Amino acid sequence: MDRELAAAMARAAGLDKALAEFPDDVMGAAAQALDNAGAVQYPTDPAAEPWPPMRPGVGL
Amino acid sequence: MTDLHWMTASDAAKAFAAKTLSPVEMMTALLQRVEALDPKLNAFIRLDGDAAMDAARSAEREIAAGRVRGPLHGVPVGIKDIIDVAGLPTTAHSKILLDNVAKADAVVVGKLRQAGAIVMGKLSTHEFAIGGPSFDLPFPPARNPWNPDHHPGGSSSGSGAGVAAGLFPMALGTDTGGSVRNPASVCGIVGLKPTYGLVSRRGVMPLSFTLDHVGPMTRTVADNALMLDVIAGHDSGDPGSSATQERNFGRTIGRGVRGMRIGFVRHFHETDVPAHPEVTAALEDAARLFQAEGAEVETVRLPTLAEFAGINRVILCSEAWSIHGPWLRTRPGDYGQLARRRLLPGAFMNAGDYVGAQRRRAELIAAVEDALRDYDVLLCASSMDPASRIDDAAETARTYPRQARAPFNVTGHPALAMMSGLSSNGLPVSLQLVGRYFDDATVLRVAAAYEHIAGWHKRKPPIG
Repeated sequence: MDRELAAAMARAAGLDKALAEFPDDVMGAAAQALDNAGAVQYPTDPAAEPWPPMRPGVGL
Repeated sequence: MTDLHWMTASDAAKAFAAKTLSPVEMMTALLQRVEALDPKLNAFIRLDGDAAMDAARSAEREIAAGRVRGPLHGVPVGIKDIIDVAGLPTTAHSKILLDNVAKADAVVVGKLRQAGAIVMGKLSTHEFAIGGPSFDLPFPPARNPWNPDHHPGGSSSGSGAGVAAGLFPMALGTDTGGSVRNPASVCGIVGLKPTYGLVSRRGVMPLSFTLDHVGPMTRTVADNALMLDVIAGHDSGDPGSSATQERNFGRTIGRGVRGMRIGFVRHFHETDVPAHPEVTAALEDAARLFQAEGAEVETVRLPTLAEFAGINRVILCSEAWSIHGPWLRTRPGDYGQLARRRLLPGAFMNAGDYVGAQRRRAELIAAVEDALRDYDVLLCASSMDPASRIDDAAETARTYPRQARAPFNVTGHPALAMMSGLSSNGLPVSLQLVGRYFDDATVLRVAAAYEHIAGWHKRKPPIG
């Protein structure tokens, strides 16, 4: 991810202090997030619903 | 008599009830062992020795008077330090929560106490159950009793190390991506991640709401079933809790595996993440043992480990950010570097990433459910390698994600890890058994059959 974009996203998330004190950690996290989200094969069926249907009392 | 420190919880409880052994004798022996060994192992963050000895004396008096509280009366237990014990700090092994004294017991701790168990203290963890092993925290990381130069797994590190070393016969751990089963695997004990919703998480510091589980860690399968009997049950205060009435999880232990169908998920360790040859050999040996005992073992395919791992990471990071965001914004320097690096990605994920991962999760669950319609349990790898050296950060970083545990946090199925052999350098290797929802009893039954025929639980670490 572009460093300027990552820094802007970090500031938008309120991470100004982390960005100042641990810039490498913040930049690494941005790249990691992109990798993680990019690795998911999202459903192509628009009707596919998410888990979890939290239903206390009946289980999964 | 068996050394008291190697006595199982089941045998100790029977001996106490029969008045052939006193809880005070056992607690004395264990506290002496903690004093001798824990400086090398760092299993404890906080030993509550005086309170534990007082409780042992009370248990001794009550049992002598014929008042047996429950199936664990007088039996010592260790508690991972993200689980609340009234009056003790829950630090999560972090500077962030150093002064966080719990006002009440977590539901699981309350249930253990109701059954008569005695809390010995709070146990080391990876910081907030995600950042470790770390040397930049207020407490040192736990070490592996099979070789203290090696990692004991995590995040329930002190639970695994302490049970394996004979510091206590049972411990509570938590498991969001494999954190009960990892230390169980590399410390050579039995760790169960129960079905999602079976065990209350109220009073436990969350990491990821839809992936978090609390589970028993013990040296034998029978002890694991006994502990699960005590801690399972509906809790209206836990939004993920189910109303199952399931009890007596050990009821089928001893029935063996004859006639059972076992699906062997070979691609996890053969092609998805190729395992260390000794891990692979031990898994094949286990499959042959099950066949020899009359089970039918067939190869089965699930989605790849990469698929499961990707879903686990997106969900975990997103949910963890919702918990840690306020501290990461204001106190980033109070986290150790590993926890900070593992928690920050959540700040960069969006709602679409999270919901998309949850939608794909439902499809992965369906795939595992399909497999479990044909098989009573699944057999697969847990850790792909024996424990890394704890001082070798690069090797730990390389081996840590080489595992097949996260799939069953994604799906919520019960999954148990146990020892399946010793590597050539004397470290435990492991296998994993996975069952149908709320059929934790069958997982324990198959595990008990393997334990009986393989006998690895009789091997003890060369410490003390």
